[in-house]
Amino acid sequence: MSLLALSNVSVRYGRLTAVRGVTFTLAEGEILFITGPNGAGKSSLLRAIAGVAPPAGGRVDFADHDITGQAPEDIARLGLSMVPEGRDVFGSLTIEENLMVGTGMHSATRGWKARAASELEAVYATFPILKERRHTQAGLLSGGQQQMLVIGRALMTTPRLVAIDEPSLGLAPNITDQVYERLIALRAERKLTLLIVEQSSTRAMMVGGRMMLMRGGEIVLDGDARALGQSEAMQAAYFGYGEH
Amino acid sequence: MSRSPLRRSLATPVLLGLILVAFALVAWAVGSKPFNQTIIDIFLKVIFAVGLWVFIGNSGVISFGHIAFACLGGYVAAWTTIKPMMKGISMPGLPDWLMQTEIPYWAAAAVGAGWAAVWALIFGAVLMRLSGIAASIATFAMLAMVNSIYSNWDSVTAATSSVVGIPIVRSVWPYLIAAILAVVLGWAYGISRHGLALRAARDEPTAAAASGVNIPRMRLIAFVVSGAIMGMGGALYAHSIGIVTPDTFYLGLTFITLSMLVVGGMGSLSGAVLGVLFLSSLIQGLRWLEAGVQVGTSTFALPGGVQEIALGAVMILILMFRPAGIMGNRELTLPRAGSDTPGRSGPTN
Amino acid sequence: MGSLLQIVFDALSLGSLYALGALGIALIFGVMRLVNFAHGDVIAACVFALLWPSVDAVAIVFAGNLPWFLLIPFVLAVGAGLSVLSELVVFRRFRRANPATMMIASFGLGFVIRYFLLMLFSSRPKSISLLPTLSQPVEILGARIPLLQLITILVTVAVLFGLTAFLRRTRFGLEMRAAAENFTMARMLGVRANRVIMGAFALSGALAAAIALILGSQTGTANIMMGANVMLMAFIATVIGGMGSLAGAVLAGFLLGTVATVMQVILPPDARAFRDAFVYGAVILVLIFRPQGLLSARGTKERV
Repeated sequence: MSLLALSNVSVRYGRLTAVRGVTFTLAEGEILFITGPNGAGKSSLLRAIAGVAPPAGGRVDFADHDITGQAPEDIARLGLSMVPEGRDVFGSLTIEENLMVGTGMHSATRGWKARAASELEAVYATFPILKERRHTQAGLLSGGQQQMLVIGRALMTTPRLVAIDEPSLGLAPNITDQVYERLIALRAERKLTLLIVEQSSTRAMMVGGRMMLMRGGEIVLDGDARALGQSEAMQAAYFGYGEH
Repeated sequence: MSRSPLRRSLATPVLLGLILVAFALVAWAVGSKPFNQTIIDIFLKVIFAVGLWVFIGNSGVISFGHIAFACLGGYVAAWTTIKPMMKGISMPGLPDWLMQTEIPYWAAAAVGAGWAAVWALIFGAVLMRLSGIAASIATFAMLAMVNSIYSNWDSVTAATSSVVGIPIVRSVWPYLIAAILAVVLGWAYGISRHGLALRAARDEPTAAAASGVNIPRMRLIAFVVSGAIMGMGGALYAHSIGIVTPDTFYLGLTFITLSMLVVGGMGSLSGAVLGVLFLSSLIQGLRWLEAGVQVGTSTFALPGGVQEIALGAVMILILMFRPAGIMGNRELTLPRAGSDTPGRSGPTN
Repeated sequence: MGSLLQIVFDALSLGSLYALGALGIALIFGVMRLVNFAHGDVIAACVFALLWPSVDAVAIVFAGNLPWFLLIPFVLAVGAGLSVLSELVVFRRFRRANPATMMIASFGLGFVIRYFLLMLFSSRPKSISLLPTLSQPVEILGARIPLLQLITILVTVAVLFGLTAFLRRTRFGLEMRAAAENFTMARMLGVRANRVIMGAFALSGALAAAIALILGSQTGTANIMMGANVMLMAFIATVIGGMGSLAGAVLAGFLLGTVATVMQVILPPDARAFRDAFVYGAVILVLIFRPQGLLSARGTKERV
């Protein structure tokens, strides 16, 4: 049973088509990297899944719900947590307030406050620097710390799937390592499903899992990350060799 | 292509002018005094809506303050056309030379336009440095400021009391000529180098600024041109009813003229004119209902205020479902002969 | 000493009105980039809620007869209700519209409310007697301060503290602050857009009602135009305070109140009638040098 299923999804901005006819499924607990050059439509695809830019055509299913064209908050409440590119922290809120924003979606269930508190401790355990500066305004953090904060903030909602746009963008390699370590651990702990967009395939090859390559709004390759990464087909498809 | 762009765009003022002439001819043929007054009122609103369009339509900045220029023009008419003796009583503080001045209405309209343009230049030099919402609110402050001054400067404006004795011009023709003049001015501005640059800056501010368009300066030119048109309209408005008060030119008139522009479509000159015609017809119908209609033996009358409520509702509905207005940013032009894309030009509504 | 104290109280009580008004406008602007021109007419509608609809010159008191502990919640509820209604009926359909379109729509809505009041009550100002005991003066350090002025200031301070606590300490306040800063991101974290916006409208409407209570007690009249002046000053305060910044709006409101009061004192008697014109002029001058406002909000700058 797949957790996320896209069928023939396309995204348009005015006359520009950013994503055309994308179809794939993602099983619970799977890790999927979507790579591809700038302007391939990766971010647009994520935005369509999260409901920020509703798809112009096709259908998106998540956890047995048709979420095509649903509001972002409703999709988030089903357990799909999106970490957009560009580290959208709430700059005037403190770190702890940033982390707590997303926990409200469970406020209808019993004992949510206690669970939120333990989630908070878990995030702090992963990123101790956040705990150290918990009462600092998030706008004052460095880029790496902000990246930790947005990932931590997404995890606070206890999602089933986390979709992250370019987690390594602007981060020092050792910080990126930490971020990935934690994501992989979480995946093992609670069968978290990961959908990660990265421009390069290097990280996917290190981590392993499944990898898809996007070009010109379409998926051109889909397979095992390590096998694909070493293949010549990957190089050719990424840079568009063999086309005119 | 058989027509040059200039000739094709020339069709817009010609068509709009013909529509206005048709209205004037109907008024002349009917010969009823109230109907005549209604047509005069429509022509005045055309002047105001076109004046608003020159600035709002081309710059994309919403102004709530343009009726202030109509106020300036209206009081110029009061200062220059009322008999000196009457002025001495109602506005004793006027300087001697102005007290003795008595000029015909058309000269007052010209002076009103000039006076409003001067103040548009002064206010605009300051306001045009702002943009977006701050600019809109600042124009609102300008309107309130002018209203506050004219409501309190007892000796030259008679404060909030009505200034009476402005010679009333009842013929429909001068208003027709002024409305056509406004349309032609608006059109000429729109196709001028400045108008084109300002619209380019409205649509692509970054690109326009990068290519050396001085946006505040372009906006200022539009502000002055539109201020002059509003000033002319204000002076003629005074001559159409014979009295002025500061509140004649305040929020009510701002609301009506702005709603006409919005309903017609802020993006085109034709929108400004057709919006006036459309909403004026609606207002006329509602006025008729407010006055009471004989249905059988009983009289049916709408309570006062329904007019404005309906106007507001139409305005909101248009914004909801057709934000570009009736004209949807298009101009009224002749269908292009031999063209294979007839949908782009020509009226659609 | 006494007259100086009187000036301070005048400035603070006038500033309180402007601050409450500016807060009501900034709250809504913060979450949905709407400049709500209907705010002033909501204020007027709250005053008229005390009267029974009639176009006669003599006002027929309706809710105005209630004891104060019922009257105040009633008026607050009317303001909040009307404001929420305007969101449900009108503004909800403008979610994807640009700010200029929304602003004009709110201008139209304001006129609809105003002329609805005119239809029910006529345009004649009506005298009302709202909380009449408040007009007695009290003596503080040799100055005779109207009790109402004192209460206005105290109420405003209480409202500001209450609102701050609400925004800082409650879940709803947290969501509202997050939404004001980045609405889409907040939604991606499960914050319900409509709920937050409705909350902002309800708060804003209740603030309008508070102004209505103060204005009604101060002037003793109900007039369909009574919200217009406060609203204009409140707009100016939100622009000076940096659009969307709540703290900026409040500070700018008090600043405007102070400037207006001081001008009333220092202007020569002939020029006093032009006080408001001077204030508007001063504001336009401020905007030339600080187009982003005196205290611009960090979060809104890059998006507006």
